[in-house]
Amino acid sequence: MTTITPDTSPTTPGAGPSTPDAEPTRSALPTSLAQSTRMVWTTRIVGLTAAVSVGFTVWLGLWVTPPDKVQGDLVRLVYIHPGVAWVALYLAFGLAAVSSLLYLWPRTRSFFWDRLAAAAVEVGVVFNICTLISGSIWGRPTWGVWWAWDARLTLTAVLLVLFLGYLALRRIPAEPEVRAKRCAFAALFAAVDIPLVHFSVDWWKTLHQGATVLNANLSPTIHGSMAWTLLLGFIALTLVFVWMLLVRYRIGVLEDFLGTGELEVAILERQAEGAGATPTAGSGDGAAEVAR
Amino acid sequence: MNYVVAGYSIVLSILFLYGVQLAWRRRRWTRLVARVEASHAAVGDGGAGAAVDVPAE
Repeated sequence: MTTITPDTSPTTPGAGPSTPDAEPTRSALPTSLAQSTRMVWTTRIVGLTAAVSVGFTVWLGLWVTPPDKVQGDLVRLVYIHPGVAWVALYLAFGLAAVSSLLYLWPRTRSFFWDRLAAAAVEVGVVFNICTLISGSIWGRPTWGVWWAWDARLTLTAVLLVLFLGYLALRRIPAEPEVRAKRCAFAALFAAVDIPLVHFSVDWWKTLHQGATVLNANLSPTIHGSMAWTLLLGFIALTLVFVWMLLVRYRIGVLEDFLGTGELEVAILERQAEGAGATPTAGSGDGAAEVAR
Repeated sequence: MNYVVAGYSIVLSILFLYGVQLAWRRRRWTRLVARVEASHAAVGDGGAGAAVDVPAE
C-alpha cells in the first residue's frame, strides 16, 4: 500500500496557490468546487453569454455586414478566423505557458497551475484546429490552394503538433509531481513557437496577410460595421474559451481526486452502483480509493 | 458564399461538439465523485483530508 495524504491546497480556479514554498501534493476532496453554487452559476452565466454573443456574431457576420470590395463574401470568414486564432495562440497557449512557469517557480508551485495549464492546452488545441480549418477554407478561394507551406501556416501547424505532444505526455503514467514538471517544461518548449507565429508575417515573405488590428502603427485597417463585428467575434470566442476552461478545470480537479486510470474508474463506478457496496479499490479497510 | 457557410458550420460544430463533450465529462465525473462520497459517508470514513490508500500494483 502506498499512502498519499491529500493536502489543503486550493482546488478552485479563483483561489490561487496556497502558501509559498508549498510542495505540490494531490488535491483534497473537490466537493467545494463540484458543489460550489457560485462556481456553477458563474460557469452558467459565462456559457450563456458566450452562446448569445456567438449568435450575434454569426448574425452580424452572415447577414448584416456588407461584402468586401476586394474579397466579396469571403470577408465574412474573417469575423471568426482571427478570433479562434487569438484564443488558441495567445489566450490558451499563452496561459498554459504562464501557468507552467508558475508551477516550475518554487515559490508559486501548486497543482492549481498544472491543472490550469492542462485545461488551457486541451481547449487551445481545439481552437488551433479551428484556426487551421477556417484559414484553409478561406485560403482555397483566395489563394487557390487548401494549404501552402507558408511560414505562418506551417508554424501554426507545428504549434498544434507540439501541444498535441503535451497532451500525449500527460497521459503517460507517472507520479503527479513528475508528470506536472515534465509537462510544464514541454509547455514552455512549445510556447517558444508562439512569438514565431506572431512575427512570422513580418520576418518572412508570406502569403498570409500582415496584422490588421494589432499592426505596428496600432491603426486598424478595418472599419465600420466590419470592425465592430470583428471585435464582437473576438469577445464571443474569448467567452467560449473562458467557459470551456472553467469546465475543463473542474474535470481536472475531479480526475485528480479519483485518478484517471480508466480501469480504476470503471471499477469504482461499478462498486458505487452496487447497493451498499464499499467503494474501495482493493484497500480492504474502507479507506478512500484514489487510484494511480 | 459556400465557403463561408462551410467555414462557419465546421468551426461552430467543432466548438459545439467539444462543449457538449466537456459538459458530459463533467457530469460523469461529478456523479462519480458524489457516489463515492455517499459510499464514504455510509461507512463513516470521513473522506476529505484523510490519508488515502492506493492499492499496490
